[in-house]
Amino acid sequence: MLATQLKYDLLMFSREIFYLVFTIFVPPATYIFMGQLFGDQTYAGNLSYVQTYTPSYILLITFTVVFFAFGFDQVTHRTTGVEKRIHLSPVSKNTLLLSSIIRSVIITSLGYFIISLIGLLMYDLQFQLLQTIASYCFFILLNAVLLIIASAIYSFFKNMNSALVFSIVIFQVVIFTGGFAMPISMMPKFIQVIADLNPMYHMNILFIAVWNGQLTFTTSTLISIGYIGALVIVSGIILRFQNKRKIG
Amino acid sequence: MNIVNVNNLKKSYGTNIVLQGLNFQAREGEVIGVIGKNGAGKSTFLEILMTIKQYDAGTVVVLDENIKSLSTSQLESVRKQISVVLQPTQFYKNLKVEELLKLFKGYYKSTIDIKQIISDFKLEPHRKKYFDKLSGGWKQIVSLAIAFLSEPKLLILDEPTTGLDPHMRNILWSYITDYNKRTGGTVILTTHNMDEIELYCDKVMLINNGVNEIFDTTENILTSGYKSINEFYLTKVSI
Repeated sequence: MLATQLKYDLLMFSREIFYLVFTIFVPPATYIFMGQLFGDQTYAGNLSYVQTYTPSYILLITFTVVFFAFGFDQVTHRTTGVEKRIHLSPVSKNTLLLSSIIRSVIITSLGYFIISLIGLLMYDLQFQLLQTIASYCFFILLNAVLLIIASAIYSFFKNMNSALVFSIVIFQVVIFTGGFAMPISMMPKFIQVIADLNPMYHMNILFIAVWNGQLTFTTSTLISIGYIGALVIVSGIILRFQNKRKIG
Repeated sequence: MNIVNVNNLKKSYGTNIVLQGLNFQAREGEVIGVIGKNGAGKSTFLEILMTIKQYDAGTVVVLDENIKSLSTSQLESVRKQISVVLQPTQFYKNLKVEELLKLFKGYYKSTIDIKQIISDFKLEPHRKKYFDKLSGGWKQIVSLAIAFLSEPKLLILDEPTTGLDPHMRNILWSYITDYNKRTGGTVILTTHNMDEIELYCDKVMLINNGVNEIFDTTENILTSGYKSINEFYLTKVSI
């Protein structure tokens, strides 16, 4: 059953132009565009554009896939009554959840390889086997974290339009305060404060460090890990509470 | 054999008491219409039978299982024997009719041939269409076709013919009555169309003020002096 569900989940994703544009086209196009503008710059940790922004844009694809195709999709199914109809079928919740998770991992992995390929072909991206394996494993972990946080956030939405507006706004906020557009240190002070509250900013920093083999457990690293961990715990509690409320 | 047994069912939403001591039984092979004005608690009652809504008090036994005491996996097992048509009917909008049938065939682990279902329900011209692009009537037909994939022991229909033209209503009812005769399955439905109750239902339950004010055979109601079920309804239910 899992294989059948996954097949149709992937088919549905491929037919949703809105998701495809925001997940598969916009981040790679932005990665190329930014590379043309700032490809010669040096960034924090003495890293090049490709070393800094390749993991960043992979993470951005992961964010868009998880928030749009996983979180927003949940709201769509809930508000249109699809969730209720599926709930009435003898398919286990675990099968549906697992299929959604595998779908997200497959699509984000596709994003991972698209960005890596562009980096390789256009910006002289270098690979080291162990670092690549560590990066991919960390990327899967970030996938899981984002899935939990997205599920918790979108569980509050009862209306598709408000979820859509939220998704588009949050996409902009993440772009500018997650370190995806330009280094946060170059931004105004208030943006830096918002960035500190943005979990994507912390994930981005950690992923860049893992990608380049520079992860050290300094105070700021531990703060980032602690902050993300706390959000995951809070999200878990929210999901547990919301699931209880669903059957009313 | 009783397929459904409900005793003293109570349900409220906050301070709004919807059901306050409802009793109901459905035997194998019966077609039962549940009527009542908007907000009477018909859909709440059906959703409790569908095992997707909790209730405050009373006993609800569906297919020999007291649903209050069942685990999630046991509920899933009960649901295998129940099929539903909801109002409004919604499925994944990005799947075509044939794909939806295949997906739900997987859910129900059905042995029924999809081609046969498509043929039985005259869905051939629509099988390549997205569910979202179908008219309301065809959506209901597809929903019923999906409901029949499992050869259910209990079929629950929430206002299945609302918004359908007379032809579509006839087609839908022909499938329902055919299923009922062929398999001996039980059908419980809500509707605001009293002609349908009169034509197709063995029994009628009128929910009024949160209780089953009347629960009797259609025949008995008509022989008790009412010209039609519509007249019975208008007499019993005030605005």
